[in-house]
Order: sequence, then structure tokens, then C-alpha cells
Amino acid sequence: MKELEKNPQSTISSSQVFFIHVCCGLALVAGFWVAHHVYSLNLVFDPTKTLCLIWAIEFPVVILLFSCCRQKPEKCSYFTAIARGLLGLPIGALLNALGALALGAPVGLQYLEKTVNWSLLMSSFTFVPTACVYGSSWTDWCRIFACTKPNGPLEFMLCLPAHGAVIGAWFGAWPMPLDWERPWQDWPICVSYGAMAGYVVGMVGSFGLALIMHTGRKQLKAE
Amino acid sequence: MWGWWRFGKWTVLIMFLHIIAILIFTKGFLLTRTELPHSSHCSDLSQSPCHSSPSSSSCWTKPAVDRLIIIVLDALRFDFVAPSSFFEEKQPWMDKLKVLQRMASENPSSAKIFKAIADPPTTSLQRLKGLTTGALPTFIDVGNSFGAPAIVEDNFINQLIQNGKRVVMMGDDTWTQLFPNHFNKSYPYPSFNVKDLNTVDNGCIEHLLPSLYQQDWDVLIAHFLGVDHAGHIHGVDSTPMIEKLEQYNAVLEKVIKELQNQSGPGKLHENSLLLVMGDHGQTLNGDHGGGSPEEVETSIFAMSFKDLPSLPSEFDSSSCEPSKNICISSIPQLDFAVTVSSLLGVPFPFGSIGRVNPELYALAVCTWNLDDDKTWNNQDQTKLEEWLQNYANVLCINSWQVKRYIDVYSASSVIGFSSEDLFRISDLYSKADENWSYTKNLSSYKNGSSNTSLPVLKRQIVAYSNFLSYVAELARSKWTEFNLKMMGTGIGIMLLSLYCHTLAIKKLNKSYGVSLLSSRDSGISFGLMLTFFMVLIRAGSLLSNSYILKEGKAANFLLATTGIMTLRYSFMKNKMLIEAAIFLLLTFIFRIAIEVGLYKQAATSQFMSSSSSWMLGISISQSLWTYMAEIMPILALIVLGYFLYKSIYSCCWGIPKYVIMGTILCYFLVALHWISESNILDLAHFLKGFGKNCIPRTVYAITLVQLSLLAIVPMFCKEETSNCRGSLFVKMMSILSACSSTIIILQGKQGALVALGSLLAGYCMMRLQGVEQHTVSGTAGISILDPLPVLQWSLLAVCLLFASGHWCAFDGLRYGAAFVGFDEFILIPQAILLTIDTFGFSNILSVFGLPLFVAFPSSFNQTEHKSLFPIKLFWIFMVYGLITAITAAATILCVTIQRRHLMVWGLFAPKFVFDVVGLILTDLLIFVASIYYFNGLEDRIGNAELRRLW
Repeated sequence: MKELEKNPQSTISSSQVFFIHVCCGLALVAGFWVAHHVYSLNLVFDPTKTLCLIWAIEFPVVILLFSCCRQKPEKCSYFTAIARGLLGLPIGALLNALGALALGAPVGLQYLEKTVNWSLLMSSFTFVPTACVYGSSWTDWCRIFACTKPNGPLEFMLCLPAHGAVIGAWFGAWPMPLDWERPWQDWPICVSYGAMAGYVVGMVGSFGLALIMHTGRKQLKAE
Repeated sequence: MWGWWRFGKWTVLIMFLHIIAILIFTKGFLLTRTELPHSSHCSDLSQSPCHSSPSSSSCWTKPAVDRLIIIVLDALRFDFVAPSSFFEEKQPWMDKLKVLQRMASENPSSAKIFKAIADPPTTSLQRLKGLTTGALPTFIDVGNSFGAPAIVEDNFINQLIQNGKRVVMMGDDTWTQLFPNHFNKSYPYPSFNVKDLNTVDNGCIEHLLPSLYQQDWDVLIAHFLGVDHAGHIHGVDSTPMIEKLEQYNAVLEKVIKELQNQSGPGKLHENSLLLVMGDHGQTLNGDHGGGSPEEVETSIFAMSFKDLPSLPSEFDSSSCEPSKNICISSIPQLDFAVTVSSLLGVPFPFGSIGRVNPELYALAVCTWNLDDDKTWNNQDQTKLEEWLQNYANVLCINSWQVKRYIDVYSASSVIGFSSEDLFRISDLYSKADENWSYTKNLSSYKNGSSNTSLPVLKRQIVAYSNFLSYVAELARSKWTEFNLKMMGTGIGIMLLSLYCHTLAIKKLNKSYGVSLLSSRDSGISFGLMLTFFMVLIRAGSLLSNSYILKEGKAANFLLATTGIMTLRYSFMKNKMLIEAAIFLLLTFIFRIAIEVGLYKQAATSQFMSSSSSWMLGISISQSLWTYMAEIMPILALIVLGYFLYKSIYSCCWGIPKYVIMGTILCYFLVALHWISESNILDLAHFLKGFGKNCIPRTVYAITLVQLSLLAIVPMFCKEETSNCRGSLFVKMMSILSACSSTIIILQGKQGALVALGSLLAGYCMMRLQGVEQHTVSGTAGISILDPLPVLQWSLLAVCLLFASGHWCAFDGLRYGAAFVGFDEFILIPQAILLTIDTFGFSNILSVFGLPLFVAFPSSFNQTEHKSLFPIKLFWIFMVYGLITAITAAATILCVTIQRRHLMVWGLFAPKFVFDVVGLILTDLLIFVASIYYFNGLEDRIGNAELRRLW
């Protein structure tokens, strides 16, 4: 942690990227593990509780880790960053839920819990990391999400997994109308799977990019 | 015109190619079965290996029934007849035909309820054809349903006439259309006025009972239509339906009583058979045509007036309800023609592929008496043997006839059954036949031990049944003979047309780019890629029946995705955020509307399980919602009228002004019409003298006048304005408003809301277009042609089709729209009205609304060159056409790939028909619209400049 905090700039080393991504991934796995072994829950049979468990495990890890990479650490303490992340969680969840509703997520009271839990999970994938790092800096948000022009491994670390999660969720929605009559076709199970898969792919991509940039910079220095 | 032709020829060429491709493909895909002109004759039987009937009076089989009374109750659901204890839940419409149930439970050996399984398409005409010919009418005949051509194939009515039976018909006039010269007496009544529940039925009742006493007929057919019409208009769960069923119960009670009274020896109905049957079922909404269990399952109640024993259990497939002593067995409708023919002793129809149904046959033909296999006494056993002998012989004739048909058919039809299947058929038949010669020999020793002959006979019957059921199964699975060559040619031409389309667009792009003297580097923008991706995904989604079923939701999903993309762009530019948000909100609203439509569809569709119980909560909770539902459309109309008023206030002159004023008047009339229909305000009596058809007809008339004004006036007087954007806008507004009033009144109350929604969505899209291109091109002033808004527009059109309560199936047509302003059925105007209702928003308004993207100066490039206008307009029309064409081509491809799919007739074929009709309509509209908009544009720009450009 302390080692991470010492790195004030948006440039962080590839090992840090690796560490953060592995931690996030492990948190995801841990969420599944706890759900499965401790509470004997399953995403297919009880999506509400399982999603709840997963995001409850995932989001503290995300907040704690990404708050270390916060911008301008001299102005913004670690706890402020955590508070920003905590605040970002419900806001991001709201945005994600609205997006899902516009795209056709089922409306109705019996789906409310599922939608809430799903959007909290999505929020901790997409919104919370950036909220921790950049707070309410509009230009940074626009650069990362609207223009998709991240620079530096840190921004890629924010951008790629978030986009991966959203795109994965988008693709995950396609099996829903099929008539296979499998339990996992219900909202939000396959969408969650898609989102998690996309998130993991995004993390791998971001790590790969970090490695490439790192070696590139080393070569530059060497030259 | 010269300038128009320069690119207009492309639209003509493409339309031409589309029409040819579709005609050729349709000819290959929606093929009719080859109808053979042969018919069966009495003398034919000498070629068969079977016993001919010993008595000289009979023909193929020994007549078992002298007189036959067929009462057809149109759209008779199985659960109208079967006791409610057969179903999970008792519904209000069940157990209304009590007399049939009572008869079936009191005399189980002489009266029986069958579940009759019809084959789709379940429209009356097709079913009557199928019932009388014993064959499988194909999908294409649906199109002929309105013209009701006479049946050319051999059928059982034809056989009756040939063999000197006298047939009397009463009721539905479809029968007289199918059999124009067959009936001795007929009392036809017009069947097409769906709103009329009683004319046909009362006519039937009037003639039915007296006819029972008359001797001048052998077969009586009475076709009641009330249940079908009640279903179409009010649905199954409605008071008129229950009243109809109760009325039928009373009629049937009288008929049965009369028949029983006269059933004594020597009396008129000593040897009569009563059949009460449906031709098809119906869904809870009263629709039929498809292949869902509800539509396919109908019922046959058969009753003979002799005291007859029951059938040996091997041939009894019935499921029984022990408490009520009613057994119900299942019979394919295919078997009807041949069974009835065998009962009456006439030759079986040549093309029949059904099997003589043992249970129905046994109701009339029975010569033995036994209760239990174990308590056979000697006499019973001989009687049973006799019966089996007789039945085996009938089946022998039956199999021989079917085999003869198959042989003749495969000889005369190029692509019939595969040789493998034919071999298997021959194999099964020859096996059964081999057996038969043995069985026949065995039975010639009449005194031989019955113990050996019984099992032999049973084995023989099983062998024949196997053969017949194999043929029927094969025919069902393979009958629709797709002509793959023609389908392939059609697809090829379709692809060629797509190629031409892209070529034309490329050309337009080129002239657009060249005229700007700025070469665009790669020409591939993100918007283009996104559009391409979306169109591909949409095209691919048509491959699956699930996506076709939920096409509205899928289109809305894509629309919302593009909406999110534009929202992202407007974040990027920090502009138009409100418009983007409103657009997303609108997609959300459309999505709700689509779900309501899906919910309606799920109630009727066999392929969907209805879910979304949250909507029930809304529909049930009473007065506030009904009040809202009455008020909202009128409010929407007022808002629309206000927009129009504002638009003429600001910018109009001359003809367009009068046109728009006319539309505002129409809106007022439509609102009045709705108020008079609803019962919030007691205005109904106020308008009674006025006539309820008056307002719709006035609206149609005003629309016609408006359209002709718009079409004719510009030819004679040319107004000069310097502002072509403004004039284009006025032109667009006037034609849209002229079309909208008719579409809104046809669509009913939802129409106004949908129109308002589409207006708002169009406004947002218009404002948002260019958000993306600006950022991509970077240099201000150059407008890159961006297909994304056009894609959005076409997705929106698809969404509108579904949001206005349509779906791509024949029960998705809103037949009620055809009767807005008309009481009687007149084919042509009502076909036009139905077309306008179905394609109103999705095609007519959206094509005419396309200039929206040109008419307004894009807020991102004000300095666009004026002369580029027509090119951009054409380009937009072309791209819209291309997107529609790609979707239609994808549908055609998917239909070809899925041609053996279980739901090909239920889902893919209707979707195909909808898409193809929509495509041709779009082509036509693009053609008309481009002339309409172009006429005048070129004057303003000047021909010389255009020549320079192109």
C-alpha cells in the first residue's frame, strides 16, 4: 500500500497494474467462492444474493486499491478518495441501471432487487475506480469515457476494464430472448456473466498495454 | 426531371430487381402442392388387392351410414366441447355445449368427443379444403383465401355427387365458393362481415331444423360462423361468445332430440350419423391461422343413433375421465375425408393421405358386442372377427389408394419425395400387402379357428396403419416442396440488387465528395462501422425464431445502443445533452409500448410464454387508467395539432398552409370520433344522427384531397423561394401531416401517442445528427455523410411498427382497422386500409420523414453548399433503402436456411411476407418521395449547376 502511495503521477508501473488487477480479479473469485462454499449460493439459482455478495466483496477491494492511485495526492487524502469511491458507487449504479433500463432490462418490482444488485456490481467495475482516482474532474471523465482517449497505464487501467464490462454486458444480453429455456437466461444472470468476462478481458488488456508501454519507455530511456 | 433521373434511375432499377428477386424466390418458397386433376372412381377398386364389396349397390366400402349431418361450428376450440375436468382450470367459456358432453357420457359407444388436430394454416378456407380433400393445403393458399377459388382436386363432396348422393348446404358461403355447382340446395350467407354475429347462424337455424324432416338429401352441411366472429371481435372470454355457445347448445339439443325421435327402425334417421365439428380452433384473442395448439386443436363430436358396442382396446386411443365417464380420443383432421367417405360408401378422394380412423369408423360400423376381452363368447368373437375383417379390408383399400396417390404424385411432380422415402413407402406397403394375401386366404376359410385369425387380422391392421401413418408423417414433413433453384436465383438477384445499391451509394458519395473538392481519406468513419455492425447484428438475429418473435425488443435494444452512443458523443462535445437524454427516454417509452404489444402477442402466440406480470397490475387497476387511456391520446392529438399550427404560423404560404389546416381539422374530427366512441362524455347520442362512419370517411376524403393537392399543384404553379431548406421542410411537413391523420384514425388511440413519440424522436435525431461527424472530421464546414442517423431512423421505424401493437404475423394485423369507417366488407378499400394501418408509421411516415436530416441546417455545419442538397437527399433515401433491403435479404436468407424449421410456417414465413411487402412498399415510397421532393429542388438550384455537378 505504502509503496503504491508513493507514486503520485498517473504513470504507474506495470507491476502495480498487475497487482491491482490481480487483486480485483481475486476479489471477484473470492465473491464467487464465498457465495458458493459459505452460503452455498449460486448466480443462477439466487442471483440477487449472489450478486450482492460479489459486489460487497468486490467494491471495498476496488475502492481501497484505486484510492491509492488517486490523482493529486497532496490535495486529496486517502480517506477523501475512499469517500469519493463510496459516493461514486450509488451514482454509478444509478447510471448503469438507467442504461440497462433503456436497453430493455425488465421493469417491475420483482426485478428491482436484481437490477439494484447488478448495477451496484457494474458500478464497482466501471464507475468506482475512476471516482476514486479522479473524483469529480469532468475533463478527466470525458477524456476516459466519452472520448476514449486514455493516456498512460493508469488511465488504461480505468478505461479498459470499464469498457470491457459494459461491452461484455451488452453482448451478454443477447442470449436472453432465446428460447433455450435455461435458467441462466434470466435477467441479470447472463448479463452479469458477460460483464464479468468483459471486465476480466479488459483487465488483461490493460495489463498487457501497461507491459508494452513500460518496455517502450525502458527502450526510450536506454536509447 | 433530368436531374432526378440521374439518380432516380437507380431507385427504379433497384425496385425492379427487388420485385423480380422476390417474385422468383416466393415462387420457390411458398409453393403450392401440385394439385392432381385425377379423381377416384368406383371401378378403380378392381386394380386393388382388396375385397371389393359384395353388394352391387356399394362402391368401395359397404355404406354404413345412410344420412350424414355435418354441423360445422367455425373456430370451435377443443375446450368448448371437452369437459372442463380435462383442463387445469375451469374457464367461463367451458362446459357450455352441455348436450354434447351429456350424450358422450350417456352413450359412450354411440357418441364420442374427439380432439381433432388440424394442420396449419388454420384459416377456414384451408381447413375446408383439407377436410374435404384429405390432403394438406399449403401456405400459399392463404393468399387465395379472399378469392376462395373452387377446389380442383378430388374431394369427398365431389365423390358424393359422382355417386348420386344429394348434398344440402347452409351457412358460410365459403362452401359455395369452394363447390360452386355441387349442392342440390344451398342457403349461403355472407361470411366476411366479422362484426355480424348472427346473420349466418340465424339462417342456418332457420333451415336446419325443417331440413331434418325432409327426405331430399343424403348429406347435410350446416356451417355456423358466430363463434368465429365473436372471437374476432370480442375474444373468447366475453359475453357474446358465451351467449353464442349457449345458443348453439340449444340448437344442438333440438337437433339431437329430433334425430333421436326419428331414429327408430324404418324412420327417417334410422341410420344417420351426426358430426358436430370445428374446422379449426382459435386463440383467446379470437385469432387463428397459425399452428399453435390453441388454433390447431378443435373438436369432432360424432353420434350415431344406433346402439353400438365399444371398440377393442388396442384401437382405442382415448384418454378417459373416470369420474364423468367421458372418453376423448384424438384424430387428425387429415383422416376426416377418408373416414367419412368410407362410412358413406363412396370412393376415397384421390389425393387423400388420411387413414380411416378406427374409433370414428366404429361409431357407425359395428357388428359385435363385447365388454371385455376375457368374456368373449363365441358369437361375439365371430362378430369381432367380422368387424376386424371388414376394417382390415377398408384399410387395405385405404392403403392401396394412398399408395396409388403417392405413385402418381411422384411420377407427375418433379421434386416429390426422395427416392429413399419412396423406397421405404414401397417397402412398408409391400410388407403389408404380402401379409394381406395371407390374411385374405385365411379369412376365406370362414370356419377356421378364430383364435388364429384374430391375431393375424390385428397384425394386418397394424401393418396398414404403420404404412398410412408413415405416409402421413412424411407428407407433413416434406410436403412443402421448396424449389431450391428458384430460391437460389431469387437470393442471387437480391444480392445483385444489394450490390447495385451500394454501387449507387458509392457514386453518390463520389459526386458529393468530388463536388466539395476535398478527397476524404479513408471514408470509413466510426459511425459507418457502427452502422455496419448494427445492421449485421440485426440481420444475423433474424436467423433465430426467438429474435423474430421479439424483434421489436431487439430493434429497440439496438436503437437504445445507438442512443447511448450519441449520448456519449454529446458528452464529448458537451452539446445537445438534453436532446440525447430525451431520445433515450423515448426509446425507453417505446420499449414499454413494445412490451405491452409483446404481452398482447404472448396471449395468442404459441411460441411465447407470457411473462411480465407487472403490466397486469396496470391494466387491472381500474378507472384512473381507463380515464388516462381515454384522455391521453386526445391530449397527444392536441399537442400534435399545436405543433402543426405553430409550423404554419411561422413559415407557410399557399397550398401547404391549406393542407396543414386541413390536417388540423382532421385531428379535431379524430378527437371527436374518439370522444364519441368512449363513454367518458356522453356524446354518443349527440353524434348519433351524424353516423359513426361519417367522421372516418371525412378524414379519408380530406387526406385524399390533401394528397392530390400536393401532387398536382406543384406541376402547374412553381413558387420561387430562395430557401430550399425551408421549402423542403414545408413540403415534408405538409405531406407528413396529410398522411398522419388517416394513419392516426386507423391506428386508434395509440396512434396519436405513437405519432407524438415519433415526432419527438425525429426532432431529437435531427438535432443530434452530426454530433459525431464533426468530431471525426475535425474540420468544420465539411459534412461527411453519416449513415448512423439513417440507421437510427430505420430502427425507429421498426420500433414504431411494434410499438403500435403490430407484430410480424397474420394475427398481428389489426383487422379492426379495416372496418374503421366501413361496416361491410369490400375487398379493395379494406385491403388498402389494412396496409395503411400496418405500414403507416413504419414505412409511409418514415420514408416521407427522411428529409428531416437535410431539411434542417445541421447545427454543426451551417455553411453547407446549397447544390449538394439533392445529392444528400438522394443519399439518405438510398441508405435507408439499403438498410431495409439488407434486412429483407437477411430474412430471405434466414428463411431459406430455416426452411425445415419447426416454426417455418408459424414464424418465418409470416415474417418473410411482412418484410418482403415492407421492402417493396419502401422502394415504391422512396420512388414517389424522391420525385415529390425533387420536383422543385432542381429548379431552385438550376439545371446547369446540376449538370456541372454530375
